[in-house]
Parts: sequence; C-alpha cells; structure tokens
Amino acid sequence: MASIDLAVVPVRAANERLRQLGAAGEDIEILNPDARHHIGVGLVHPVTVHIRGSAGYFCAGLTDGPRFVVDNNVGWGLADNMLKGSIVVNGNASAIAGVAIRGAEVIVKGNMGSRAGQVMKAGTLACAGNANFMAGYMMYGGRIVILGDSGDKVGQDMTGGTIYVGGRIVALGTDAKVTDLSSADDDELRAFLDRYELPFRGTFQKIVNAGKNLRYGKTEPRVRVIPYFEASEANGYWNTKVREDIEVKAQIGRYRIRGYGAARPLPHISDLAFRTDLTAIPADPSVVDKVRMRTLLGGRSGAKPLDLSMPVMIAPMSYGALSKSAKVALAHASRLSDTSENTGEGGLSNEQREAAKQIIYQCLSGRLGWNIHDMHRANGLEIYISQGAKPGLGGQLMAKKVTKEIARIRGIPEGIDLRSPSRHPDVLGADDLVIKVEEFREATGYRIPVSVKLGAGRVRDDIKIAYKDGFDFVELDGLQGSTGAAGNEVLEFVGIPTLSAIQEAIDALSEIGAADKLPIVLMGGVKDGIDAAKVLALGATATAVGTSAIIAGGCIACLQCHVGNCVTGIATQDPVHERRYNVPVEAQNIHRYLEAVRWQLASVAHAHGYADVRQFKREDLVALTPEAAAITRLPYDPSLRERDRGGR
Amino acid sequence: MSQPNVYDARRIDPGQAPEGYADDVNDRHFVPAPCQVACPIGTDAPSYLAYIWEGKIEEAFEAITATNPFSSICGRVCDAPCEPACRRTDSDGPVAIRNLKRYVMDKLGKTHRLNPVAVTRRETIAIVGSGPAGLTAAQGLAEAGFVVHVYEMTDKLGGMMTWGIPAFRLPVGIIDEDVDRMLHRCPGITPHLGCALGRDISLDELKARHDAVLLTIGAWWGKGMDIPGGDDPRVVDGVGFLRRVNAGERPIMPETVLVVGGGDVAMDACRVAMRLPGCRNVKVLYRRGPSEIPARKDELYGAIKEGIEIIYNIQPVGVATGNDFGLRCVTTRLGEPDADGRRRPENVAGSEHDVPGGLVIVSVGQKAECEGLARHGMMAGERVKADFDGMRTADPKVFAAGDGAFGGSTIVMAMSHGHRAAYYMKAFLDGKANPLPYRTPFHTRYVPIAQDPDWETNPRHDQAFHGLGHNPVAFPEIESTYDAASAKAEAARCYRCDAETGTADYTVRTREDIFVMARTEPRDARTQRSMMRKRLRGRDDPFGPNYLATLEDLVFLPANLSRLVIDPYRDACNVGCDLPGGVHLNLPAVVTGFDDAPDEVLEGVGGAIKAAGVAYLGRRRPAADVPWLQVVVVGQGVPDAAAAMVVHAQPDGFRPFEPRRARPDQAIGLAVSGEDLEAAIPFALDRKFDLLVLQASGDVSRSWPELAGMPDLSVIRDAVAIMRRMNREEDAALLFFGGARSGTDIAKLIALGANAVVVGAAMGFALGGHTEKAGFKFYGDITSAERAERGALFLKALSSEASIMARCTGKTDVHNLEPEDLRAITLATARAVGVPIAGTHTIPAAAE
Repeated sequence: MASIDLAVVPVRAANERLRQLGAAGEDIEILNPDARHHIGVGLVHPVTVHIRGSAGYFCAGLTDGPRFVVDNNVGWGLADNMLKGSIVVNGNASAIAGVAIRGAEVIVKGNMGSRAGQVMKAGTLACAGNANFMAGYMMYGGRIVILGDSGDKVGQDMTGGTIYVGGRIVALGTDAKVTDLSSADDDELRAFLDRYELPFRGTFQKIVNAGKNLRYGKTEPRVRVIPYFEASEANGYWNTKVREDIEVKAQIGRYRIRGYGAARPLPHISDLAFRTDLTAIPADPSVVDKVRMRTLLGGRSGAKPLDLSMPVMIAPMSYGALSKSAKVALAHASRLSDTSENTGEGGLSNEQREAAKQIIYQCLSGRLGWNIHDMHRANGLEIYISQGAKPGLGGQLMAKKVTKEIARIRGIPEGIDLRSPSRHPDVLGADDLVIKVEEFREATGYRIPVSVKLGAGRVRDDIKIAYKDGFDFVELDGLQGSTGAAGNEVLEFVGIPTLSAIQEAIDALSEIGAADKLPIVLMGGVKDGIDAAKVLALGATATAVGTSAIIAGGCIACLQCHVGNCVTGIATQDPVHERRYNVPVEAQNIHRYLEAVRWQLASVAHAHGYADVRQFKREDLVALTPEAAAITRLPYDPSLRERDRGGR
Repeated sequence: MSQPNVYDARRIDPGQAPEGYADDVNDRHFVPAPCQVACPIGTDAPSYLAYIWEGKIEEAFEAITATNPFSSICGRVCDAPCEPACRRTDSDGPVAIRNLKRYVMDKLGKTHRLNPVAVTRRETIAIVGSGPAGLTAAQGLAEAGFVVHVYEMTDKLGGMMTWGIPAFRLPVGIIDEDVDRMLHRCPGITPHLGCALGRDISLDELKARHDAVLLTIGAWWGKGMDIPGGDDPRVVDGVGFLRRVNAGERPIMPETVLVVGGGDVAMDACRVAMRLPGCRNVKVLYRRGPSEIPARKDELYGAIKEGIEIIYNIQPVGVATGNDFGLRCVTTRLGEPDADGRRRPENVAGSEHDVPGGLVIVSVGQKAECEGLARHGMMAGERVKADFDGMRTADPKVFAAGDGAFGGSTIVMAMSHGHRAAYYMKAFLDGKANPLPYRTPFHTRYVPIAQDPDWETNPRHDQAFHGLGHNPVAFPEIESTYDAASAKAEAARCYRCDAETGTADYTVRTREDIFVMARTEPRDARTQRSMMRKRLRGRDDPFGPNYLATLEDLVFLPANLSRLVIDPYRDACNVGCDLPGGVHLNLPAVVTGFDDAPDEVLEGVGGAIKAAGVAYLGRRRPAADVPWLQVVVVGQGVPDAAAAMVVHAQPDGFRPFEPRRARPDQAIGLAVSGEDLEAAIPFALDRKFDLLVLQASGDVSRSWPELAGMPDLSVIRDAVAIMRRMNREEDAALLFFGGARSGTDIAKLIALGANAVVVGAAMGFALGGHTEKAGFKFYGDITSAERAERGALFLKALSSEASIMARCTGKTDVHNLEPEDLRAITLATARAVGVPIAGTHTIPAAAE
C-alpha cells in the first residue's frame, strides 16, 4: 500500500499521484487529509483508498470504480457523480452526500446533511444515523437508506428511485408517498446492510414518487404561431396574438410553452453599423486567407485551449431537445469548418464525439449525462448557470422525447417527464462555484478549459464573479438566445438583449481592470458574418451560432420545438420524423453556412484594412437607433442605414 | 430539363420588377417560396394552398389563374417543377401542389369566369400558333388592351396541349375550359383556325396587317432516326402518332410496340400504344441509364405501373433483318460528358442484337419547320432564330417564343415565354427601345398560415393511380383528385416558406438568407458578395420616433451568480396579498368590467373569482360571497354595506368631495387618473383613503375603457413619486387599472409599486367575450359553469406567470419585486416608467 501525506503533498499533486497509483493497481492511504477538498476526484481504477482522517468537499467525486474508506467526517458533495465503486464514511457527511451518483455505494455511518442524494440516478446511499431535510430531493433513480430519522420533506419532488427510512419520517416532501414494502425488498436491503456491517433490527418504511406533479393537466392546444407584429405597427393593444394567448391560458390555466427565443422586436446587433462603407466589397474568393481568424480559447489557466479556425462556434444545444441526427450534422459541420460543437444539457453520445473535432461538454443542475469519462474526452467543460432563453429555470424534457437511448446517456429511467432543478445542487453562491471549478480541474488534471454559460441578467455583477471564480471563458447569452422549450413569458421578458449583455460585460470587466483578461463568447441572435464582426468590435472574443446553424440545416422556424413532432426531423425523437433528416446533406449545408459567415467576417475585416479579426474595435461602429445608442454609448448615426442599403 | 436552383442569386436579389409588373419582393415580410421561384410563371402556390385550407375556393382560383391561363390543364399535366422545389420534399414528400390546383379547377374551372377586359389600344397583333406560349402572350397582350389575332394551322386551339397529350392524362374538354375562360376574359382575341403560315397567309401579309407579329409555331414535327431502314412505314414519329390518336383515331397495334426515346413524348406514346387494340407489350428503348432518363418521374412510374418495359442503355442501329420486324440494337455504356454535361452513351462492341416489335415509335426530339419563315432567313436549323433576352427575331416587328424558338420544353415554360413575349411586345408598341429586362413577378396574397394542428404529421396524400382502367381504349383518366377534407389536410402540410412565423428575430428574410448562405459554395465569391450586400441592408428601426411606452418593453433581470434563483421544486413563491377592508387576494388581481353583463355571464365571473380567490371591482356585485370593491360615482351612487370598500370615482375629473361609507368601518378608495394625481393624492392621503385605483386606461366606472387603446404607464411612476415625495408611500394601497394582459404584466406593475392589478378586458376575452364596438358582447355559446372554469383557469395562469417572474428574479414573494428588478428595452418605456434601459444603469433623460 502506497502512502500520500497531505501534510507535505499539495492536493493537486496528490490527485495526480493517486491516478498513477490507481492505474498501476496499487492501494493507497492518505495521511493527514486535514479535511482538504477534492481528495481522490477523477480516480477511475478499482483500488482502495483509505483516508486516515476527515475529508473536505467532493471527496471521491467524479470517480468510477475505487473503494474509499474515510476514518472520520466528510464535507459536502460526498461521492459527487460517482459511477461505480464505494465509499464508507465512518463519521458524518455534510450536505448533498451522494449527489448525482450513478451506481456507487455510499455509506455514511454517522448522520448526513441536507439534500442527500439530490439528482442521484442509480446506486445506494445509506446512512446509519439521521438525514437532514430534503433527502432524495429530485432523485431520478437508485435508493437511499436512512436507518435513523428522515428529516423534513424527504423525497421532495423525487421522480424515481426509492427511499427507505428505518426511523421516523419527519415529513414527506412534495409528490412523495409511503408505499408497501415487499419482503423481497426487505431481504435485499438487509443483505446490503450486512455487507457494510450496518445491522438493523427495526422496520423500514418505503417512500416513492406519488406521481401527482409529473405531468401537466390539460395539454396546450397545438397551434401554428401567429406571425409576429412589428412593434411600430399599429396592430392594436388587444391584437390577435394577445387574444390567442388569453384564450389558450383560459383553457390550460398556466403559462404557455414554445421553442425558440425572444420573438418580439428588441434592440439588437443589427441596430449597429460599421463606419466603413462595406457596400463595395469585392468578390474576392481568397479574402478568407488574407485575414487571421484563428482563435485560441480557454488557455487562461494553463489548460489546452480550444483551437478554432475562426471565432465562431456552435452554440450549446442538447441531444434530447434535438435529434441525434441534427446533433451529428452540427458536429460534423463544426469539424468541416474547424470550429467547435457543444453538447448542451444532453450528455455526449459517441456519434457526436466522433463527428466533432472539438466539443464542449456541459454540466447542468440535473447532472444529466455528466460523468468523468466524457469529461476526459471533451475539449472543454462548461458549467451552465443559465441561458438567455430561460434564465432562472431548470430544463424540461417531456416523456415523448425521453427515449431509451436518451435515458441511457442521461442516466435516468426511460419515458419519464424529465425536470431539472433551477440551480446546481452544489452551487449556492460564487464561493461554491470556485470549489466546483476546482473539482473539475482536479478531476481532469487541469488539462481542459472550464467555461461558464450565463444568461444575461445582472451581467455587471455576474461577469465579475465569473472572472474572479477563475473561469477560462464565459459564454454569455442574450435574451434572443433560443431553446427547445420554455415558458413564453420567460422567453420574452426575463433577461436583457444580447447587445445590452456585451456592453455591460465589457464595462464591468473594465471597472475591475480585467478588460481583455476574460474572453467572452457572445451569443443570442447572431446571424451572419457581419453580426460576428460587430460582436468582436464590441469586445467579445468569439461568438456562437445556434438558431442560425439550425436554420441552415433545415429548420423552418415554426417555434413548435417543444411538441416533439418536428416536421424536419430536427427537434424530435420520433424515429419516423427523424428519418426525414438527411445528415450528410444538412451537415454540408451548415458547413457552407459557416463558411459564408467566415467569408463575410473576413471581408468586413479586410475592408477595414485589418489583417487580424482581433483588430476590430468599438470605434468602428455607430448606432442606427436611439436605443442602440443608449445601450452602447456609440454615436447615433441613422444615415448610415441608407448608405448600407445603396449597394446592389 | 434540369431542376433550376431556387437558391441562386435571383433569390438573393431578384432585382427591380419590370415596369407594369410591380410585385411584392420588396416587402420585407415576404420572400417568394422555393416553389414559387421554381415555377416559371411564379405561381403563388403558398397562397392558394392556404386558401384551400380555409375553404376559400374562389380566392384560390384567383391565385392559381393570376399568371396561368391554362390552370385546368396544368392541374392535371403540369410537370410541376414546384414540387421537387418544395422544402417538404426533404422531409416526407412535397405538398401535392399540382393536384390541389386540379382540385380547385375541377370545382370552378368550367363555370368560373373572369371579368372581360376591354380593347383600349389601336394596335393589333398577330400571333402565329395557338399553343401555350402563343395563347399566354395573346391573353397578356389582350389584357393590356391590344387587339390580338391568333392564326392556327389546325382546326383547334391549344397546340401541343391539344394534339400531344393523350386523353387519359388530359380528358377532352379540359382544354376548352381554359380556352373558353380566356376568350371570355379577352374579347379582343380573334382566333383564325385552319390558317397556316406560308400556306394560307404569308409573314409579309401579317406584317402589313398588324403592328407586331409573334411566332409561336411550336416544335411540331418529330425528328426521325437516321438509321438504315428508318424510312420503313412501320417506323413512325411520336408526335405524329399522338396527333393521330388525339384526332380520334384508334389504330390497331401489333402485339409488340417499340418506343425509342426517354422523354415525355416517349412516355405518352408508349402509354397510348399500350391502350390501343391489339397491343400486348410495349418496350421503351433508352440509350442512357435510369438516373439519366429525362422523362418526368410520375410519367415514367405510371408507364412502368401500366406494364410497360423500359430497356436502358440500348441504341437502335437499324431495323431488324430477321424473320420478325423490329430494331437491330446495340448495348451502350456511359462515356465522357459531352458539351451539355451529360455523359455520352458509347456503343459496346459486339453487342448487336434484335428487339422484335411490329411498330416502332420514334420519340427522340421535335423540331420546328416552316417553309415560309425559312424563305425569309428566319429559321436557324430546326428553330426560329430569336434572342431570348428580348424575344426578338432579326425583324424588329417580329417576335418569337415557345418551343419553336427555344426548343422542346414544358407547358409552363412555354407560358413563361408567352409572358416574356407579351412584355417585350408591349414595350415595343409603347415605343420603348430599351425596356428593363423581364423577370417573373412574384406576388403574395398574404393569406394567414393554416392553423392546422396536424400540419406536421399529415403525410403526403397521393391520389389513387388508376392505370389502364377497365376499358383502356376509352382512355379513362389515370388519376383522381381530392375531396374537400383530404384537400384541406394536404394543403395544411405547406411550410409557408413565404411568410413570417412568430419570430421577429428570425424574419422570413433572415431565414431565407441563411438558407441561401447554406447553399452557396464557399468559393463562389460573387454570390457571397451579393449575400453580404443583402445582409448589410439590415432592418428598420423596430421602434421609431413615435413609439409609445408599453409594458411589453420591460424585462426582468434574472438571478444568476450574484443572487440565487428560486427553485420551484424547493421553495414556494407567494403571490397573494391583502387589501384594505379585509380583502385577501390569492393572487394580486382584482376583476372588473362586468357590471352590465347578462346575469349568466356575471354568474360565471362570480364563480371564477371565488375559485381563484380574488375580488371584484365594480358598481354591481357578481355574487353574494365575492369580496367586493364597490365603485360609487361621486354624487350618484349609494354605498352598500356589503362592500368591503367603497371606491369613489369621478368620471369627469377630480374635485374635492366628501367620501361616503355605508358603515363606519368601511374602507374607502379613490379612482384617479394621471392628470389628477398631483391634486388627488394629497387629498386622498389627507382624508385617510385606504386605497387608490390608478386609472391608466380611463375611468373604471365606465364600460371597458381598456379596449380603447394603450394604457398610460406614467401613472404608476408619478403616483409612487408623489407618495414618496410626501414620505407616505405606505399610507394607501395602489391598485393599477389599465391594460393588464398577463401575469407578467401584473408582476411588472407590482415591481413598479402597485399592490395589486385590475384585470378587466383580459377577463372579458377569457370568458369568451367578443369585442363589438367599444365593448364586449357575450353569447350563449358557453355555459356559465364553463365561463367560471375559463375565468378561474385564466386567473390561475396569471398567478403562475407572476410567480415565475418573481422566482427567476430571485424572490420568494411577488410583492418583493421592485423597480430595480426591471430594465426597459425602449427609451419611451424607460422614460415612462422611470427604469434604466437594459445594459445601463441610468434612466434616460426626457426626449428632446
């Protein structure tokens, strides 16, 4: 047995050493753990690790296979996302013990803190003492065994799985119920406990989901959306859209859901113009070779940056919201154009990984599809805090779209109405986020960039936190950003426009002397290379296209993504509809679209005399509307609109 | 003909419409759909499909016939280039655009007449040939007011439509439908039947008699096969064969008939032969492979289904010399591409073999022939010598169009030639030497998108194919058309590529630009540049100088990193509140507006209010057990002791008055409008009013004032400012009245300082009201129980919306929302409500 003494070895070096020893199949003991965070994270070998003392946050997190023993207590996030293997804690565990586990056996011989087993998917979390409030909160599967008292609101909004309580059920959570315990359950349970030397003489009560809140009552009537009105048109205050909205709500009694982003007119990048006259740009096929566009993104803390042939990426969209075919087409197009793909919430399928050259792997609150192995094969890791389409809300994927394969990738039961919490189990503030980012870095040896996805709200405050928390870059998403399903009111009325978002972000970073130190990838309604050039001039390092890429690949913007019947085979999991999608053809279409963006971006730069897209600056732009001028503080010059319309 | 690329530069920048052809391509809410661009005559298919869905057959007929004088014919036999261009082709098959046209024409084609157009011009025009090109030009010129004389060599109008298409595809009488309609519409057209150029009349005579001449003589004659024995009487040409049959003959066939060629004439000829007496086998011999065969796929498959054998990669080299008549053939394989890009078939050495057949029908192309024109040097080989750019011949008075000038093509292409010719001839007769180039005009009729819930899932519903039928020689029609229900279901499938959808961010123009970008080769710099210029044109100011403040232009700032969002699965979010007078609201809404509604409706309102746990504001109480804020017009109404509060209203403006109560402990309120705030608020606070109703849409004692227009949001801003100035913000509750439509509106108004919000007109709509004049009318279409349920559900939806806004903002109570949670996206709104514009922290100064 090898020893690592944390009194002399820093945790980062210790974790590297642990992985080496694990690969060699050697058991390890950790001396003087001193309640350090992240002990053992990222270990994927079936070796025994004996921690002789207490461990801090995320002990044994993001692991697969090892057997941990902790002599004393552990901090929060015990065994975070552990796939297989086991951990026995002889003392107490802090909050969210067993968070998001996917098959591991987690034993706490003392008491455990609140929200134990939050969003867990498989495996067993057993506690010999008492649990604090909301044990099993939003769990999707697996079982929690509490030999003592349950704590308040046990099983709160659990979707699947089982909770066994040996002591008193203090109070059931929303949508949880007590059900009969079969003798087979009981026998199996006791055999499990015996294995971990946890004798129990009492009787168990079994708690499962009550099934009351899983589905909406009345389904929303399916309609084709009424075409938008222009804000300046006098369509009447009580126009047909408003009346339709009232009519539907009077039928269903709740807010409405649709796909896409904010649909009404908003101040946007298109309300800016370049001072330079671009109408006489030559038809130069080689202009793309005359401007340096290659962008390295995410090397701020020593990780291997994404290497993009131009500062235009594919925005995060999930396999789940989109069909696998659509995701593979996007991934393939990103390879053809030598840029990057992003998994969104849905996890990483092999097909996506193979099709994309570079892919960012997103971690969301439900930890759906999140696991150490896919972290290792990603080119970037991204913590999703929110998105422009629905900041402040967790994702939803209706049962119709939760197919067998999606359930497998996401680690959840098949055919459930899938909901995610609105916030991460282990991020309640900026300080938590620092420790979370560090967990990812520890687990991947600091080799992979870690970014954050933010929907634009209080950008001035949020971006400073993102900078201070040490993210390698920020994906900042304005109100125009789209989604596969969200409440209409949130889509339209929560968040600030993309244009406002970048202005606030740049202003805020300047305030703390961090301008140019935190790369911002701005997204939300970017449509072409001219938009991309404006975004760079406003101070972003790169941009990402989501909706536009989908449209290039065949989307007809009917806004009915949430229904699951997508007529083009993009936003559906129905195999009959998905067969309509021709992956090679659409991959080429998306690729050609990205190349047109490249050509436009290069042409705009070249027309400015720039040899590098990084030379764009604020002063290149003017505002065409009073709103855009007020937001950006750029000079208001509507006359340039007429100039730009002159070119034929 | 190869399919035209509908995503080329024409789509990016269709250019200016020619004079007299103003179209809709400059409308920013319209982009011609791929089907419309693919149609040589620009048929507005999306509109007629939408009309069919709506059941508006006459409107559909108008859209169909607007540019197509042969709509009845095209409904059956158009080669329909629109269908392969249909974007739904890539999904589950194109919309059946052609057959749906037939559906309309079958309903109206025979009887529906268009208003006649009078002759207004002195000039007369001669048109030689009455095929689709000639007659389309005739109609176009007649509609422009000219007198048109049509000289037709045969005894029937219609050209190849009459003589070349067999009756099982185009039944007798359909052509007459279109021709009769045209002649009724255009009294200025005079047909001269049996009058052939060169035989009955000369070009010089025509030129002398008329101001301009159009030659649309067609490619009337089949080309022969230059092979030994090709002059055998058992070798006939395809168009001649079809002509005989269309004239009524039903010649007896040998047992086996051979057809040489792979075009549409070959398909018609083989299928005709199969139906004629005596025929048992028909073999089509085509020199290339199945992927090269030019015949329209429908016709090819129809032939195959009718039992016709297609032999590919075979080339006749002579007639068979054995015992049986037939063709001596060789096998071919595809070699290098030739000048037109098609791979040239090469003979395989030593592959000679005989294909027996008693009759050989040669359909390897057609040609124009006209001795009279050849004499004038106006022929170039097998075509009339003409310039496509101006449809001119060498003679300035003489124009040419159609197959005779530009080679064998389709009916719809010939019609487009007719339109072009009419345009250039009119320009000539108007004395314009150098007219703008013609392009197909693209119109839209702005038909609303079909509101069909099954549009995504309805499969293409193909019509049954009847094949030869029970009595083949009678040439029964091979295809049916839709009934009303199936036509509607099929029409619903249209994507409406031409129209805006619900998003202003991805307008139809933006989407179509992205589509074109995705179909432009990266190195095609010319198209890239055209697209770049188009994208540079951008959009108009979406708001403009006269834009008014609106609640829609406020957004909430979501919690993210700097504060926690409220997890709906974890934390409750309170929306309820208390109003003075002991009124508890489960959600911060008070219903109004139903004072004069019928009792049944009032019953529904009462039920909804009770179920939702809110209150009613009005002169009359909807139900006994509903919390009631009684509106009393000062000097008129009498306070009711049953009311929780007496709200004093002064429809003619504020004057100090003595508030009244029905009981000493009754709460009192004052309804006040913007212009009275400065005077009324100090009065109300001084007299200890418990509540102010802030009237942003007019007087709450009147009937449905909200329907008149937009609320004035500055009322809430000013009321809060005055109370703050007096340091008495907490001394009276604020109830906002005016234009609230959603729970989000309510949340915004609460953030701006209201305690609760009055919901009037929105409830009127929710309860099934119909707006008539300035108010709602309610009909007996729903019961009061249903009304109660709808009202309660709507109020519940408002509650869910208000609560989600608070949660996203990081609040566990809607009443904790504050102005600092809001930003405005327009200057007008920022000023009216006094919040910063998004992305900034300062409230913009008043407009200059």
